[in-house]
Parts: sequence; C-alpha cells; structure tokens
Amino acid sequence: MGIVIAVISGKGGVGKTTATANLGLGIAMNDKKCVVVDFDIGQRNLDMILGLENRVVYDMVQVMDGEATTKQALIKSKANENLHFLAASQTKDKSVLDSEKVEKLIAELKESFDFVILDAPAGIESGYEHTIEFADAAIVVVNPEVSSIRDADRAIGILDSKSAKVKKGEEVAKYLIINRIVADMVESGEMLKSDDILEILNIKILGKVPEDKGVIDASNQGKPVILDKKSIAGQAYARIAGRLCGQKVDMKNIEISDTGLFKKLAGMFR
Amino acid sequence: MQNKQYSVKVFETTISNEQKFMDFFDNNYTLFKDHLIVIQGELSQTIQDYLEEKNLKYLENVVLPKGRTRKALEEELNAEKVSAAVSQQIVETELERLSTQLQNNLTVLDEMIRSGRELNIEGDLLLLNRVNSGATIITSGNLIITKVVEGSIRCHGNFMMLTASPKANIVFHDVEVDNTLLEDRLNRVELKNNEIIITPVLKKEINWAL
Repeated sequence: MGIVIAVISGKGGVGKTTATANLGLGIAMNDKKCVVVDFDIGQRNLDMILGLENRVVYDMVQVMDGEATTKQALIKSKANENLHFLAASQTKDKSVLDSEKVEKLIAELKESFDFVILDAPAGIESGYEHTIEFADAAIVVVNPEVSSIRDADRAIGILDSKSAKVKKGEEVAKYLIINRIVADMVESGEMLKSDDILEILNIKILGKVPEDKGVIDASNQGKPVILDKKSIAGQAYARIAGRLCGQKVDMKNIEISDTGLFKKLAGMFR
Repeated sequence: MQNKQYSVKVFETTISNEQKFMDFFDNNYTLFKDHLIVIQGELSQTIQDYLEEKNLKYLENVVLPKGRTRKALEEELNAEKVSAAVSQQIVETELERLSTQLQNNLTVLDEMIRSGRELNIEGDLLLLNRVNSGATIITSGNLIITKVVEGSIRCHGNFMMLTASPKANIVFHDVEVDNTLLEDRLNRVELKNNEIIITPVLKKEINWAL
C-alpha cells in the first residue's frame, strides 16, 4: 500500500512540476516504485519535463471514464524503470474531475506503487481540491518571495479544510520545499530567509533547492535535472528524494554563498 | 491585663453662676455624692476648692460617650442598612459593567489563521497564534492576539491587545490604526472619549501557551 503525496503551491510558476518530475525520478532511483500523475488537466506539462510527450496515448480522464485501463495509460520512464507516468488530458478541462472517480483511480494506483505523486494545478479551484482530497501528505513548493508564500498559505488552508483525511479527524502531513534560493540575495536581505518562511507557514521543512540555470535546459530537453550529478539543484532534489525514502540526510545550508579561496582573494582586491 | 467595668452616673453641667452652683450642690449633696461631676466650660479655683472640700469626683471639659434614645438607634440602624444596600448595588452594577466590558462570549483559539480565512467572532477573542497575510478577523467584542499579525483585523470591542505588527491592517471602530504606533511586545488599544489611545503594556517576550 503506497503513500499519496500531492505537490502543491497555490501560485503558478514556482517549480511544482519540476519538483514533481525530479522527486519522482529521485524516488525511483532509490529503488521504490513510483508513479507521477499530472492533475493539471487542460494544461499538461509534466510529460514534457519527463521527456515522455510523444509516448502519451491514453490520459487520466480516459482511464477514469473507463475508456482505457490504468495499465494501458501508464507510461514507463526512459530514465528509470521504477518510474511511471500518468498524463493529464490536454483537450478536456478541470470540470471533468469528480471525487468518486478520483478516489477510485488513486486507490488503484496505491495498490501497485510505493509512492503516488500528484502534480497539482496552480490556483485553488476544483482541480486543486480534487488533487488534495485523497492525499496522505502534501509537499508545498514555494519561492522565497511574499506572493508565493501567501498563495501557499492559502493553499495549505484549503488543504486543511477540504482534505478527506482531515474530515475523518486525521491530519495531513505537510512538508515544505523552498525552491530557487539565491544565497547572495538571502545574505543581502533581498530574499526571504527560510526561517521566516517557516515561521509564516508553520510546516516542516523537507528541503531547500538553490536557483540553478541548468533546470530550464533540463526541462526543455526532457531530462530532469536530478540526472545531472553536477547540478546543485539536482543534488538538492536527490537529497529530498532520499529523505522521502526514509534516509537521514542532513539539511545543507544553501543560504550562505560559496566562499572559496579564489573568491576570498578576489574580495581582497575589490 | 486585668479589666474592670463600671457604669457611672454622670452629672454634666456648665457653670454660669458659681453661687447658684454651690447652693444647688449643698441642697442636693446626698443625691449627687456618688456621681461623676463633669464641668464643661470654665472651671474657677473657687469651684475646684469647693468640689474638693465636698469630696466630689470631677472632670472638666471632656467629651463623654452619649447615650441614645431608642428611636435614634432605630433610625441609625435603618440608615446603615440603606447605605449597605446602596453600596452593594454600586458594586454590582460596576461588576456588571466591567464584565460586559471585559468578557462576553470569550473564544480562545490556538490555531494559525492562514491566508484567505475570515473569522467572524461574535464576542471576545483570545488568539494565541499568528494571523497570516491575507487573513481577516472581525470581532464584535474585544480582541487579544499574542503573536504577530500580518493580515487585517476589524475590532468593535472596548479594547485590543496586539504585538508590534508592522505588516498588519488594523481597523478599530472603523478607524484605521497606524501600526507603527504599536511598538512593544504587547500594546493596548482602547477607545476613550472618542479617542483611540495606545498604551504599551509589555516590553519583553512572554510565553502564553505553555
């Protein structure tokens, strides 16, 4: 019986889909069976980031409507055989989802995978509510900026009131990923510190991901950045995936800029 | 300590004519020989000598405990009862006034008020947690928040207690409160004679929810 994790953010463009793809692949690299499901119906991008866009035959909506079986619709990743992908429909819109169908689909996926990761749409409309309704845990992705944090706060508030688990009196575990941290800007006070973000959102930290130019290129090529061992963002995602798989990985402080010998020397002559 | 109590008969008088006084005592000596004579007013040497010669005990110019008639006593008791009832009434109305001022339907909450949430509280609210940006709290009564407020508050009670909250939007009785005036750990905002008065209450950090 697997665990269902919804990746949410509230605001768009903070790196939800990138995080979903990388964590899915990271979990798979830890020898766990993982499926990533794109819940952003009508605006699917997870297939492109995973490099599986030309392999999509059936989508999630067709599975829910009984037009295809789950097995037919699941796509195995090229990068790791433990990772599977279920695409969103690009032609339909979010109104096609309904609670019963979503519950049935998630229950089915939970049977055969260790991790079911749901990529939530941006915003807090019905599509978002269906994504979080049957999740056991949520990963909240934020950027260190006020608008992202307020939207995430709102998304957590809705999670706490609409989740089926909360309605049963249990609690949904919530974890935070702070994405696109620029150490120099945190040091100079231009960017919010992670401690401040944690105080506002009051949830547990799962990991911090530094800003990395390689992410865009990796997404465009359909090769998640976690595959690039040299990438600092990739390393950060690998650490987070390790934590999700139960390993004890220390939190790396990425909020202080690299002060190597060369940089120190350069500073002397400035 | 050894005590003895006596009831003594007192003859109180003021002397206007010394001769008349001495005549009176000569005539009524047997009647007054055991009385304590109290002379109010001037006491001359002649009278003193006379009293000593007759072996009469006397005092001059003292305030004696006065006996009262039954009617006066009853009146006094009645007045006491009335004043007790009045003061009791005053205390009760004062307490009632204070209780409506301090506590009506107090709600105590220890949860984070996240963005997008709107709390509408009928009565007073004691909140032991943060109010995040984008959240709204409206109370008809008093409001005490022990942690930072970044959202907006509308309070219609007699007072608010808030910590320094530079990002908050605070409206007290439809008047926007300049939140730079909330400088300390805990500030009291109250309405007195149509004026909003902000008093710092606490400078140091305290732990409310232990």
